[in-house]
Amino acid sequence: MSITEKILCSKSHEYVLDNENGTYTIGLTDYAVEQLGDIVFLELPEVGAEFKKGETFGTIESVKAASEIYMPISGKVIAINDTVVDAPEALNEDVYENGWLIKVESAVAETEFEDLLEYEDYKEELE
Amino acid sequence: MTKETFLHEKHVELGAKMVDFAGWHMPVQYTSIMEEHKTVRENVGLFDVSHMGEVFVSGKDSMEFLNSIVPQDISKLVYEKAVYCQLPNKNGGLIDDLIIYKLGITEYLVICNASRIDEDLNWMIRNEKDFDVKINNCSNNYSLLAVQGPKAIDLMNKLGYDGNQDSFTIKLGTVAGIKMLVSRTGYTGEDGFELMVENVHAEKLWDAILREGQEFGIKPIGLGARDTLRLEAALHLYGNDLDENTTPIEAGLSWSVPKDKTADYNGKSIILSQAANGVDKKLIAIVMKDRNIARHGYDVYFNGEKVGIVTSGAPSPTLNVNIALAYVKNVKDICVGCNVQVMIREKLHDAEVVKKPFVKKHNIVKV
Repeated sequence: MSITEKILCSKSHEYVLDNENGTYTIGLTDYAVEQLGDIVFLELPEVGAEFKKGETFGTIESVKAASEIYMPISGKVIAINDTVVDAPEALNEDVYENGWLIKVESAVAETEFEDLLEYEDYKEELE
Repeated sequence: MTKETFLHEKHVELGAKMVDFAGWHMPVQYTSIMEEHKTVRENVGLFDVSHMGEVFVSGKDSMEFLNSIVPQDISKLVYEKAVYCQLPNKNGGLIDDLIIYKLGITEYLVICNASRIDEDLNWMIRNEKDFDVKINNCSNNYSLLAVQGPKAIDLMNKLGYDGNQDSFTIKLGTVAGIKMLVSRTGYTGEDGFELMVENVHAEKLWDAILREGQEFGIKPIGLGARDTLRLEAALHLYGNDLDENTTPIEAGLSWSVPKDKTADYNGKSIILSQAANGVDKKLIAIVMKDRNIARHGYDVYFNGEKVGIVTSGAPSPTLNVNIALAYVKNVKDICVGCNVQVMIREKLHDAEVVKKPFVKKHNIVKV
């Protein structure tokens, strides 16, 4: 099963992957990064920071503009991907395997997933 | 209604990402702004800049008329030469910045920004007075292509045009078998040419340039790279770095304001007084000391005090640092080599004031 079959996507183009141990991996969809163009800067929160669903947890900048990144679910940050912070241009190659942004710990309510879409539906919605 | 240039289909075929810019549906990038930028610095790039305005000014008093609306001395502009200038209002604030070409004894071509064509025309008509002059907006009749980069001259030669022409001159010539006006100008900080061609020939010319340019590594270049290229060269973008509340002196354009011009023009007394006595704000160039990017509209601080605002900012693909232009209060202490701060997402980030431009032609300035 490929990652895109397991993720859920938000309308603001973040994805969340359930690691099935109470933690979730969060990143930006390939569509989001393609739309942004050359990624040159990424700002992510500190480990330990807590965010509610919908809150801004980071900033991504392309050559043209800065965009905020929103939490697709609530959670506490347990890891950030230093590799992509150091070399954000890597996001233009891959956003799922190595290009994830943060991992969070969350006892998230089911209702928070209600507005998230499966990847195929998300892609369809874009068309 | 968003307008389309005569090359719109070409952009779509090439897979460009299209955006609305100044009322036009234009390519912002074809592949990658970074790659396109480097192509122009190292090889040669092709731009569609047909959205820009072309206004012909002719008639017995055309020189006197133009001389009454711009600070540059048009009486000194000779046949086939071009001059960069501005269109000030009565207060010296800028309605637009322009290139004026002399095409004949009483005939001139004025190139204006796409977003300002209507304002420029209205202003020209208001200032027509008793001058015997004809103002003819031909923006819809011509396409404008820019061929920019160190290999632009080789490509022009290959296209059957003798590229050996002085910088800031314009000539009637034949490129790829098509008659057109060719000027050695551009807005990228590189050597290059701008080709003004009747719309009907635009696609044929575009194809010929891309085909013959292959051996020189040509790529089509979008507005995204056009912006980073002009910013590295510290060339102003109207609407960002220039507006109706900014004079040419404040914008650092004193070099384009002759002090000995006898003819009167709009805003002359204010502009010359500023040139002589100094101004309250000035445009500075800054380089960020960390990886944060100063964007248009961000506040600039000096010694804990808010002193100004960023008007253009982006990563510099050539220098691999983040660069910006900002207007600050004209205090002596803010000078080249000193530190200012930019407020980015509620935090202050250090930046160093540097000399303009960030990147010189074929000569990268160390920062």
